[in-house]
Amino acid sequence: MAKTAPKIALWLWDPGGRLAAALDLEALVQKLARAKGVARAEIIIDPGSPAFLEALHADLEAGVIDRILWVGRFSDEQKRGLPAELSACGLNPYLHHWCDLEEQGLLLAGLEPGLRNRKAGVLLEMALARTRLLDPLEPLELPATDAVLILGAGVAGLHAGASLTELGKRVYLVEKESGAGGKVALLSRFFPRLCDPHCGLQFCLDKLSASPLAEFHTLSTLAALEGSPGNFQARILKNPRYVREEKCNGCGVCLAACPVDLPAGQEPGLEKIAPFLKPARKAIHPAYPLAFPAAFVVERQHCPPECRQCAMVCPTGAVDLDQPPTETVLNVGAVLVTTGWDPYPLSRVAEFGYQRYARIISNLEMEQLLGADRLGSPGVLPEFSLGDMKEIGFIQCVGSRDERHLPYCSSVCCSATLKQAVLIKEMNPQANCYVFYIDIRSPGFDEDLYRRARDLGVVFNREIPSAVDLDPGTGKLGLRVIDPSLNTPLEMNLDLLVLAGGMIPAQGTPDVAQALNLPQNSYGFFESHYQCHPEESQRTGIYVAGCAREPMKVSHAIESAHLAAMKALKYLEGRVLIEPTYPVVDKTRCDQCKRCVEECPFSAFGFDEKSFPTPDLARCRQCGNCMGLCPLGIISLQHHTIKQMAAQVEAFDVSFMGDKEPVVLAFLCKNDAYHLARGAVAAGLDVPPNFIFLEVPCAGAVNNALVADALSFGIDGVLIAGCPEDQCHYVRGSQLVQKRSGDLRDKLQKMMIEPERVRFANLEIRDSDKYVSLLHSYLGDLKTMGPNPFKI
Amino acid sequence: MPPRVDREKCDGCKAEEEPLCAQICPGDLMVLGENRKAHCRQPRDCWDCMSCTKACPVGAIETRTPYQLGYHVARLIPMMGTNTITWTCIDLNGKVERFRYKNRTT
Repeated sequence: MAKTAPKIALWLWDPGGRLAAALDLEALVQKLARAKGVARAEIIIDPGSPAFLEALHADLEAGVIDRILWVGRFSDEQKRGLPAELSACGLNPYLHHWCDLEEQGLLLAGLEPGLRNRKAGVLLEMALARTRLLDPLEPLELPATDAVLILGAGVAGLHAGASLTELGKRVYLVEKESGAGGKVALLSRFFPRLCDPHCGLQFCLDKLSASPLAEFHTLSTLAALEGSPGNFQARILKNPRYVREEKCNGCGVCLAACPVDLPAGQEPGLEKIAPFLKPARKAIHPAYPLAFPAAFVVERQHCPPECRQCAMVCPTGAVDLDQPPTETVLNVGAVLVTTGWDPYPLSRVAEFGYQRYARIISNLEMEQLLGADRLGSPGVLPEFSLGDMKEIGFIQCVGSRDERHLPYCSSVCCSATLKQAVLIKEMNPQANCYVFYIDIRSPGFDEDLYRRARDLGVVFNREIPSAVDLDPGTGKLGLRVIDPSLNTPLEMNLDLLVLAGGMIPAQGTPDVAQALNLPQNSYGFFESHYQCHPEESQRTGIYVAGCAREPMKVSHAIESAHLAAMKALKYLEGRVLIEPTYPVVDKTRCDQCKRCVEECPFSAFGFDEKSFPTPDLARCRQCGNCMGLCPLGIISLQHHTIKQMAAQVEAFDVSFMGDKEPVVLAFLCKNDAYHLARGAVAAGLDVPPNFIFLEVPCAGAVNNALVADALSFGIDGVLIAGCPEDQCHYVRGSQLVQKRSGDLRDKLQKMMIEPERVRFANLEIRDSDKYVSLLHSYLGDLKTMGPNPFKI
Repeated sequence: MPPRVDREKCDGCKAEEEPLCAQICPGDLMVLGENRKAHCRQPRDCWDCMSCTKACPVGAIETRTPYQLGYHVARLIPMMGTNTITWTCIDLNGKVERFRYKNRTT
């Protein structure tokens, strides 16, 4: 396609004459009117006036102008409104460029007028260079389904699913257990209101089972995920239930027929990593943890050979003992990962004797004991009756906040222990509860629980016991601990000891991570930005909620599930809108080195049929790191192309400061360094005039070739400023550019050019003083180095 | 004289089968070794065209100037811009000259 010469309208708006007071605007505009590609250059009185807009419309329709460079300070409203208004008469909204002279510090006090005029000239030439290369762009619309996949039907998954079905989205809930509910279904009560969690879970389940949009896949796992956001294909493996879900009505006739009695406790054969307890049951039994779906399930591995009792008595013919495993492919727009947690295996904390003595139990077992006691059922620990327990101890942080086990705090165990102690005291005021702790962490209103526990007479001892033994005579636990208030050793005899262990990612997390190609943090939880976008994983269209992300209490897990559901909606609307500022690979020059595929922080690059790298536009977050890292500089974000930037660098006239003073080009990350630079000027700080900055989508979008260009055109120094490494919104933009500019510095050293001419700085959005002092020290260094050898 | 690869710097173009230097070498001399670092497998056949030096994305390759042009002190170093190439020429007396060319774009 032959390019026609650009016809630029340069409109300079100077409300209140602020620029005119400092600059010779007339001369500047007259000079630019003669520049290449400029069709009109005028100082305008009011960009919103009907007369101006009418003239503009006429010009556009007559084809006198085809793009606009707006010079001056425009409000956000104008930057939004004017392109929208002009697009009505055919001007593409991407054919505008806004050049704010003030933000570059032109109006700061103390500059001599000649310098101001020269710098304004350079800035306008740079803006023109970019405006000439603007292209009209149109947003893309990709098709998408309205279905969502939720991995894990625990409290987070159920809440997200219920809300999404209410919004009319199709929900596939995939659960590896036979029933819904997850860990929360095992709790006796949950804080702060101390109500029964089954009530809240049932509420969700009722909504889900009433909705034609929800589909449960129990005993299922995700094998693989393909496709892109809006159009994922999830391959689900389903283990046989041996009971047809559509036929079984849960009547329970089979229970009487089944000859196999399974004891309470851990499923034999499973790795004993977590005390995931099951009640005493038959080999055929209702789904667990919650009897939802209503269909029963057969633990086929425990069936005697040839036994078909259940199949014979089933009145609906639902039992099918020869059911094969099945595989389904689900087409979904987004994935919510709510795979939850497992308790830390307390047997690894040898000093407290877990699994050595029966009277030492975990806090999750305590939950079941409390639940069983309340419901009057034998429960999962039939040998215990809480009513007989008079002396009960709780040890906090077992394995948590301990570098040998879990270095983090699981955040819920303190409140859980307080809740358990309160429940015991309320049930049996004669029982004595002792809590041994490092710190009691009861954030927010959980403090009420702490106060309630104190009022009920729970004893708190800020010291962890040194040893626990069983006294074989009395059958009680002997415990040695220091009482820190009296600084004396204490010996105690307890009936029961509860160990408050921490939370670790659910056992299946590594498999999910592999199927989704989802990064995990050093503790095994799914990586997140935590603060700016807590729900977002590093893979677009995949959202993480609940304890799969970090240990959190039930209420927070539900909140995070709703947040993730809300964010996922973007990919469930039947279409995905893509801003046209996505990356484009010039395949005629690409040599398939695949660095973009390797280094893209979001794994957005794949291959086309000729093995050229192609960005998956639905996954791409448009950070521009591919543009920065491409060794050939042939990947460009549209509207921020490398050509446009190179043209701006080339238009940088190095002589505006005179012969003596160095000049610096700064590439500023638009997430913070750019706002920082604007803020420093707005605050009237002493920003040296030697700097001209360009805004880039991420520091990682700066290609070394641009820096090389800048140096070879005689610019004395190049500053790249981005977010601190661990704060980069695009995960590793700062890190990648730092590595690359390091390589370039080494090259400069060989070329006998001072490597310090290229500088990388980590700046935060309000580091104005640090920024200004950095600029000054940088200038000082550049002055000592003398002019760039390439300066002519 | 053949190219010398800085082993610290070379990342084997991210474990690619054919790193950029191997792709561009007109004599097909650059290969990845077992340590996933590139090297010149037949130094005598190198023409000193410097294509690999220019193509290396991490700046790990240096071409030693042939003795007819200068002894080991002498260096010729290219730096690639978007549309320019900048040469730094250091002769055996340490005298530095620099040139910038616009690239031909196709």
